[in-house]
Amino acid sequence: MQPVSANRVDGISREYRINIVQGTTYVTDNPEAVLTTVLGSCVACCLFDPIKRIGGMNHFLLPEPGVGMACDSAEAERYGLLAMELLINGMLKQGAMRGDMRAHLYGGANMHSGMQAIGSNNAAFARKFLKDDGIALSHAHLGGTSARRIDFRAALGQARCRVVMDKVPTETNRVAPAAKGNGAEFFR
Amino acid sequence: MSWDDKAMAKTILTVDDSPSMRMLLRSALTEHGYAVHEAEDGVAALEWLASNPQPNLMITDINMPRMDGFGLIEALRIKDQHRDMPILVLTTESSDQKKARAREAGATGWIVKPFDPEKLASAIRRVTH
Repeated sequence: MQPVSANRVDGISREYRINIVQGTTYVTDNPEAVLTTVLGSCVACCLFDPIKRIGGMNHFLLPEPGVGMACDSAEAERYGLLAMELLINGMLKQGAMRGDMRAHLYGGANMHSGMQAIGSNNAAFARKFLKDDGIALSHAHLGGTSARRIDFRAALGQARCRVVMDKVPTETNRVAPAAKGNGAEFFR
Repeated sequence: MSWDDKAMAKTILTVDDSPSMRMLLRSALTEHGYAVHEAEDGVAALEWLASNPQPNLMITDINMPRMDGFGLIEALRIKDQHRDMPILVLTTESSDQKKARAREAGATGWIVKPFDPEKLASAIRRVTH
């Protein structure tokens, strides 16, 4: 999936920003690329291979049941796994090694009191995934009730997290709740 | 979820470099009564197959270290004992090019993640009947 925009930070710096919107993943070895996103309940995983100097970010929200719809925890896990696998595969394709990857996790805020702890669920999933997959978690800034802006110099492994008062872009899940998963195509 | 009695004796080898994905697959497949064995990549799968009876089905990822899914399928199809073993590819890849390569390598079918457990079970029944 492609980010929605890529702009120079300013007229002098060679750095340029790539906005990672919900449901997308981006991997780069370009030291001038700054991956950026704003998170509410969503979680972003920033992965970095310090040996190959390759990094990437995803931005995901586990599916929650809509009104009158069913969504079990296994279904949520399948979509979360997909988000993480797309990021890891993107890193592997550029030459990163799974065993060398280091992760930062951000987001997972519970933005609306009285509602389900959606952010906590997203954060717990991300922590569990990294633990089960043996990927080292270098830093986490998760939970709370405020939005965060993340800037990640992916190829350098440098992340910056700022709590912001900005209105968070609407976090609607990009996965159609009715589409529970894919079927098979047979060759023989 | 109902048990499929006919599946009780059937074994499936799952090949994926993500422990989380292997756990999810194990959970979904054992729910349907299959015996599940796991390998973390193509090399580990070949090692397992060399010292164990052929499973009724292999489900393999494509992007894996050491030996990817394409290499694994090609390595198996040149061996007489594995020439007819059903092999389902379960991957994040959805390009026609990758799909064609899997078909040429000898895969039986192709499923793009995320998978639906019921559709996966249906595909397994179709290729292992």
